[in-house]
This record gives sequence, structure tokens and C-alpha cells, in this order.
Amino acid sequence: MKRDRWTVVAMVVLAIILVASLAGGTIASHLLGHGPDEPFPYANAGYGVGPHTVGPWTHVPNTSQTSLDSYDNVIAPPKGTPTTLFVLGGDGLLGRDELIRLLDGGRTSLEVGLGGVIVALLIAIPIGSLAGYFGGAVDAVVSRFTETIMAFPMLLFLVFATAKVGPSLRGIHHGTLLPMGVFSDALLIGIFTSFYPTRLIRQQLLVLRNTEWVDAAHMVGGSDWRILRKDLLPHLVPTMLIWGAIAVATNILLEVSLSFIGVGVEASTPTWGSMLAQAWGTIYSPRAQEPTIWQTVFPTAAILLTVVSLNQISEGVRRALEPWSRR
Amino acid sequence: MRVAAYFARRLATALFTLLSLILLTFILYWVTPSTPASFVYPHSQALSNYQIAHANHLLGLDRPKTTQFFSYLWRLLHGDFGHTWASVQLIDNNRLVSAPIRPLLFEQTGETLSIVLGGALIVVLLAVPLGTFSGTRVGTLGDRLVSWSTLVGICTHPLVLGSLLATYLGAQHLNWLPSGGYCPLRPPPAASGPAACGGLRDWSLHMILPWITFALLYLALYTRMVRASVADTLHEDFVRTARAKGASELRVLRAHVVPSATLRVLTMVGMEIGTAIGICIYIETAFGFQGLGRAAVFAMGGALSSIDLPETLGIVTMITLIVVVGNLVVDLLYAILDPRAGRETSRGRTKSLVGGVF
Repeated sequence: MKRDRWTVVAMVVLAIILVASLAGGTIASHLLGHGPDEPFPYANAGYGVGPHTVGPWTHVPNTSQTSLDSYDNVIAPPKGTPTTLFVLGGDGLLGRDELIRLLDGGRTSLEVGLGGVIVALLIAIPIGSLAGYFGGAVDAVVSRFTETIMAFPMLLFLVFATAKVGPSLRGIHHGTLLPMGVFSDALLIGIFTSFYPTRLIRQQLLVLRNTEWVDAAHMVGGSDWRILRKDLLPHLVPTMLIWGAIAVATNILLEVSLSFIGVGVEASTPTWGSMLAQAWGTIYSPRAQEPTIWQTVFPTAAILLTVVSLNQISEGVRRALEPWSRR
Repeated sequence: MRVAAYFARRLATALFTLLSLILLTFILYWVTPSTPASFVYPHSQALSNYQIAHANHLLGLDRPKTTQFFSYLWRLLHGDFGHTWASVQLIDNNRLVSAPIRPLLFEQTGETLSIVLGGALIVVLLAVPLGTFSGTRVGTLGDRLVSWSTLVGICTHPLVLGSLLATYLGAQHLNWLPSGGYCPLRPPPAASGPAACGGLRDWSLHMILPWITFALLYLALYTRMVRASVADTLHEDFVRTARAKGASELRVLRAHVVPSATLRVLTMVGMEIGTAIGICIYIETAFGFQGLGRAAVFAMGGALSSIDLPETLGIVTMITLIVVVGNLVVDLLYAILDPRAGRETSRGRTKSLVGGVF
């Protein structure tokens, strides 16, 4: 691992992303003097004529009121209005700070990504071990079930579940740490992505249960439960790490997909997905306005950076733990 | 004979998958609270008990659940997909008139399959050379550049990518290509005037941007797969033998390495056709198509409260049929191209990670 330069770089990048999304939003809004949800109408340079959201590094009049002339047209603010800095520009018609929303959105997106993986593992480990270790009827049922479900587009199940079950789970939230809808998103994404690790675990255990040391453990009187827990599950850790790193990335992408269907996290909560959805509209009302290029670039770049570094870490873990694999 | 038995078994599995997914749709519908009566009485603010009972009777929902299931199967066996609920109209307060699902469903399938099949072809055409390039120089800068730049395609959401392409290459800026809408492959009737859109040329012009969007999304995955396959195969004994016999590196690649990688890619394409249909929700939205993916979201009510059961069932059946046929075609290809197939089932194979997730 030490010699794997790119994986170390990826870990540093990921650590920066983690710190930035956990603490960055608070620090940035403290330094800049405005919060993630404060609208600044003058961040739309078109003054309501069109959606000309300001670009990066703009000083925006620090007022939530628009000045109107006698025809109710929006005019420039009075002279001497203090300005506030929008480092990455505005986020659209409402004129909120893109940078702070990006940082806060990172936290929400990562929460969904990580939460989904945890839920998926909580389901996959018991079911996969049962199917793989005991085989027989349990295995047949589990395999047929996962095969059938996986034949169908996962996304449609997810749309159905988030639309029908999501609203009742939305109530589970906790301040700014766990915004509304994050729990339901993570739970449902986790449930519907658990089939893949279930199959991974099953396949691996099917091989492992026939090894000599499992026979040896049986011989000295180890119970099935003990063999599973002490001898077999530790062997699954590398696979699950490799899968988990990638799955966090795909869950983040999945969250974007859900935002575009309008069933994800509350639209007012910043996530990388909801920021993109705000720029490009949902599938019910696509392209509500033509966004500035920045509104697409920044969330996408954040996603890209996270996904690429997670991907590299997953590769690195595999190379470190399975030195026999050449790729 | 063994091949015949193998395909009989595959066919049985396919049938089982189809039946279970239809049953699953019914079960999900039954356990989900919804008000089908609002389709029959769209203008009622508060539905009375009579209205609900009457609507359920007219829609056939007061029959026993087993009857609902088996009568649907029976009609499906005769090619009858039923009628949509979304277009239902109450006539004389005692019967319903609504649009049949079949013609609509076939049109939607055509649009979605156009995207998926054409896009898959482009993916294969791009991924095989790119993956071979990477696989022959694993760990070098070129390899990394390829794998990172293809990841851009995955991280840019297809709806965003599609909208960007449609906006900038389409009518609003460069006007190189049509920015949206679907043109049927079938030429338009001569009577419909010059403005009518159809035929091979119009169809392919309208499909180029959706295909690119689709291809960019899947490129990373397939390039990586070809790369892995090539890197693995290069260490095989038969490659060493070929080299020892003095075959040039190009010939080794062409004759021994690339074919097996292509075979793996084809397998994956067949297995992930269902996933691709899910992704099509966004591509269809970006380009204003009326395909299966979008229809599915709308039939399930999306953020609304009512599910259009017959429409949903029709779409589920159609998608499952496509998936099942896709898998069968892949198995057939395997049986033809790889003589070892048929002995081992495809049980061990599973979808790729992104495929399993999306």
C-alpha cells in the first residue's frame, strides 16, 4: 500500500473532501457572513429579466430585498449597499451561495452514500452467509429471489419505493446532521443495492466452506455459528471493503438520479444531486431554465473527484489485499 | 441434445422470471395504498364510498386477487395488454372507455430499444480499442488517463450530459443536430407532407446525441472490463505460444486477445439491457422521447399517489421480455462462439457492479 502512490493521493483527496463537507460549510458561512439557505436576489445579475446567475468570485449586494422602480421593475440596489462575496457564484433563481451549498451538499451526499452501504451490508451479510454456508433450500430461495429482482431495472424499484414508502420515512431526521429524507434515501438505496453484495458473499462462502480449515474447525467441535463468525466472516472483509468503496460512489450517483425524479431528499436540502436537479429540472419538468455552466460544473466536479478517489482506493485495497490479481 | 436441454432450462427460468415479476408487481400494487377511483372520477374532491366501490367494480378490482392475477395472465397470453387507467372515461355511469395499451407500449419499446441497441453498439466499438490500449499497458500514464477520462462519463449524470449535448450541439447554439424528439424508423406515409419525420436518415440523425449520451455513461465500465480481460489474457499460455511462434504483437492481439474480450463485453451488454432501460429514463427526458423508462415512472405515479396498474404491468412485462430475450441471445452467441458453453450454466455470471446498482 505504501508504494501505491495514486492510492495515497486518492486517500488524501478523500480526506479533504470529508473534512470539507463535514466542517467546510460552517466555516465558509462564518467567514463569508451568509448561510446556505439565505437568498440574495441580486445574485441574479439579470435583475429578474432572465436567469443570469452570477459566476464565481462575484461581490453580490448584501440584501434580501430587491429595489423596485415605480413600474415594479427590479433596479440596481441603492448606492452604498454592502456586498458579500460569492466564491463559486450563485445557485440559480433564488441566488444562494453555491460554495456553501456545495460543501453542505457534500455532507448529505456522503451520508446517503455511506448509509446505503451500511444498510446493504447489514442485509447482505446475514442473508448471504446463510445462503452460502448452508446452501440447499435456503440458497435456492435466496438465489432465485436475487436473480429475479436483479433482472429488472433497479432504478424503477427504487423510484417506486421512494415515492410510496419514502414519505412515511421522511419524518426520521435530526437537525442539520441528518436532514429530512436522508435516512429514507439511505435505507431504500441500501435495501435495493443489497442484492449485489449478497451474491458476492454467497459465492465466496460457497468456496470457503469446503476448505480444509473449515473441516478442521468442525472436527474440533466448532458450532456452525462459531465457524461462520470466527473463521469465515473475517475472510469477507477485503471483498466488502472493495465493494463498499465503489458502492459509496455509486450510491452518490444514485442519489443524483433520485433527485432528478423528484423523490430524493427534500429539494431545499442541498445535496450534489438536488443542486444539479435545481439547475436542470426534474424529469417531470426538464430544463426549467438554462443554467449557467458553473451550476453544472461544480457539483459534477465534486462528484467526479469523490468517485475517482473512491474508485482508486477500492483498486488500491484490492491490490494490497489480493496481490495475486494482476489488474 | 445437450444444447437443447440447456435452452429448455433457460426458457423455463425465463418464464419463471416473467411470472414472478408480474406477480411481484401485483403484490406491490396490493400492498401500496392508492386510490384507483380517482382515475374514474378525476374531478371529485372527496370520493364517496359509492364512487370508490363503483370505480373498483368497473376496473375489476373487486374480483378475488387470484382471479385478477390469472385473468391478466390469460389475456396476456392472447397478446392483450389491457387498457390504461390514465385515459379512462366514465360513459353513462356504467361503463369505461380507455385507450388500449398495446400500440402505445410497442411505440415506447421502439424508442427505448433504439437508444439502447444503438448506444450499446457504440459502447462496444469504443470500449474494445480503448480497453485494449489500456490493457496492454497496465499501470502506465496512458492507462490511467483512459480510466480517469472515462470516469467523467459516469459522473456526469445522463440527464445533465444529455441536456448539455442537446443544448449546445442542438438547435439552441450550434444547430448541428436535432436537439430532441424521436423519429420512427418507418418512413412516414407520403400523404403526411414534407414536415413529417421518419425513415432511416431522420431516425439516425435524431438518435446520434442519445447514443453518445448512452455510450459515454457506459464507456468507463466496459473499457475497464476489456482492459481486465486483455491484461489477464496476455498472461495466458496460448499467448506465450503464439509469441514464441513469432506472431507479431498486433496479430497476437487480433487473433487471441481481443476476441475473448469482445465476447465478455457482448455477454455484459445482454445481461445489462434491463439496467440500461432504467438509465433511459434520463436520456429520454433529456431528448424529449416517450420511451419505456419515462412511461414507467409516470405509470407508477412518481411523486403522485396513484398507480396505473395495467400500464405498469404492461411495462414490467415488456422490460422483462426484453431482458429475458437479451439473455437468451447472449447465451446463443456464447453457444456459437465459445464451444465450452452449454456445459456450464450462466449461473455464476452476474451483473457488473454499476449494473447491479443502477
